[in-house]
Amino acid sequence: MFTPEGMTRVLIAATKSQMEPVIREMYRQHLFHIEEFVEKDKKEYEGYRIGTPLPAANETSRQLLRLRGINNAFMIHEDEAETGGKQKHGHLKELVERELPSIEQEVEDLLSRRAKLDSQIKEYEQKIDALKPFASVPIDLELLRGFQMFSVFCGYISRNISLDIPHEILMSESKKDRFIVLIVPNQDRSIAEQALQNAQFQAVPVPEETGTAASRIGYYEGQVLAVKGELEEINRRLDEIKKRHKDFFLACNELLTADVEMAEAPLRFATTGESFIVEGWVPTERLETFRQGIHYATGGKVYVYELDQSEVEDVAPTEYHNVSFARPTEMLMDVYSRPRYTEIDPTLLISIIFPIFFGIILGDVGYGAILLVLSLGLQRFLKGDEGQKLLKVLRNASISSIIFGVLFSEFFGFSLPWDPILFSRHLNIGGHAGGHGPDVTSLMIMAIWIGVLQITLGRVLGMVNHARQDHGSHRIKAVMANLGWIMVLWGILAMLWAAFPLPFMPDLTGLPPIVMGLNMGSILGLVLILLGVVFIVRDSALEIVELPTILSHVLSYARLVGVGLSSVAIAMVVNFIAIGLIIEPQLESLTAFGVIIVIMGALVFVIGHLLNTILGMLGGGLQSLRLQYVEFFTKFYKGGGKKYTPFGMKKRFMED
Amino acid sequence: MADAATAVAATEMTVEMIKASQLGMKALGAGLAVGLTGIATGIAEMAIGSAAVGATAENKDVFGLVLLLTVIPETIVIFGLVVSLLLLF
Repeated sequence: MFTPEGMTRVLIAATKSQMEPVIREMYRQHLFHIEEFVEKDKKEYEGYRIGTPLPAANETSRQLLRLRGINNAFMIHEDEAETGGKQKHGHLKELVERELPSIEQEVEDLLSRRAKLDSQIKEYEQKIDALKPFASVPIDLELLRGFQMFSVFCGYISRNISLDIPHEILMSESKKDRFIVLIVPNQDRSIAEQALQNAQFQAVPVPEETGTAASRIGYYEGQVLAVKGELEEINRRLDEIKKRHKDFFLACNELLTADVEMAEAPLRFATTGESFIVEGWVPTERLETFRQGIHYATGGKVYVYELDQSEVEDVAPTEYHNVSFARPTEMLMDVYSRPRYTEIDPTLLISIIFPIFFGIILGDVGYGAILLVLSLGLQRFLKGDEGQKLLKVLRNASISSIIFGVLFSEFFGFSLPWDPILFSRHLNIGGHAGGHGPDVTSLMIMAIWIGVLQITLGRVLGMVNHARQDHGSHRIKAVMANLGWIMVLWGILAMLWAAFPLPFMPDLTGLPPIVMGLNMGSILGLVLILLGVVFIVRDSALEIVELPTILSHVLSYARLVGVGLSSVAIAMVVNFIAIGLIIEPQLESLTAFGVIIVIMGALVFVIGHLLNTILGMLGGGLQSLRLQYVEFFTKFYKGGGKKYTPFGMKKRFMED
Repeated sequence: MADAATAVAATEMTVEMIKASQLGMKALGAGLAVGLTGIATGIAEMAIGSAAVGATAENKDVFGLVLLLTVIPETIVIFGLVVSLLLLF
């Protein structure tokens, strides 16, 4: 429960003729986490080489590449599959050989035809663009080019021009610009050029077409329409193929991916001329199944050997081993870092503490209910493992929020019909607010107590971790150092208790003084602090600079109260503005205009509480998570474990 | 003459007035505590936040971690909030 799944280091050795059945069986079982073989120049590695892929690898990779190209073109994603029934592996393999190539050929033909038509449309559109300026010129285009005695200027000008030379001019004006066609004898060309330049002439080339521009545009537009019709037909056929074969494509993808992974597995093995060796990890509980499977698949021709792992436990992959209640919280652990194989896995603790902290911060029946509905409702829409886990964490947190809402007697900032069972968080906001306000001192003491207890727990776990992970003289020192931190923390507390009477804390002020005005409590505290510091220094003297973090980390838990109260304050302010300031004054003498104001007030109410829900979710979630990561984990948790990724895959579309 | 005027003013300060002015000072102090720490948190989160966005752009997996790193300076403003709450209530 507090440790990851037990792993056993396993070595498999056999002749190369057994390579394929071994790979196939390992893939089928989905249990063996392969430790990749790396070539080294050391003596014990001599003679071993990284293996070469199985012969089928090339052909299968090519097939897979082709299929993925089609899947990409269709934008088929695994999530959209309706996994109606699984296909038999052998049958599917046959289909891949027999039917897939012809379907792929058809799709590829259609796709290349579509690309061709697309480029055709672009070509026509470019031609239309080139013709457009001449649309208003009522002359055949071939009459605008090919003169020897005359120069033709076509283009846009910014203002009218007047010429003293013999010329022919055609002008068309629109709102935006003026288009001009000017024909002059060659000897007057320079004068015309000068005049045009003054009018900021921008030349437009005459298209290589015959007939008037308007008729050519009409022709090309007809062409575009025809091509678009053809395109639609192709798209329709592609859609049909997609609809008909989507699941088949996905199943083929799965089959070929599996085949490629299997074919390339020897790249992770160590091989000699005639044999191969592969090392890896198998969950200890399943070891016997694994061994029997390999034995059965190869007729006992393979050597499966359990290795001594005491030296290499640090590199063992980590697989969570939690009760089902704590499973969603594994996601929060992975965000920080997966636990190492040898250390305590705090997932279960976090799955209990995180919702409680969330509830203390956002203790409101209304907000909790909204988040609960949200997390349950989104479960249908959000796909993927991570998303589902997150929603389950949110669900637990919102249930806790409702429970604390009942204890704090809060509903959208209003109070429920009973007095707060825990401590009051009701603020005096609004014109006719009454009561004695929030019980900040008690709330603070509660937060401090939570902090002291969680940090102590963290240090205790730190002692356990060091005892399990470290060796030699460092081990005892590290364990004592963690004890030292606990002693300093409680020593400070004892001295505080001896000096000041605090609510909800033991009162040691009444004890009789012994020496120099110090009573039993102070002396006990002092001794604890001094001893603790000695223990810490023995492990590492530099740690002394970390001593103030004892105070700051404990005080950091005050955020449970601070963030919570600010969320209550926002809720009450929203209520006061919406109801006290906008709606109530109107209700006293309701007019037609007043109804609109009341509706606006209701809008303010809804938007305000919506914003506060989002803020509360972010604040409550992030702040309580941060308390785990920064204040709690730094006491004992290292993380950095390797994820257990067994060779094989979860089959969704096929079965053996 | 001026001394006499202040003396008169001082004698005219009633207990209620002093209490009210103390209440005002408390509110001022509470406001300063939240406001100044808020600014400090903002400055601190500015650098972390921009680095966090950069890191996320390069590798989406770090989003959860950098989101947490970004809220670490929030401690400052929360201490401010706690101080102001203790002042007010």
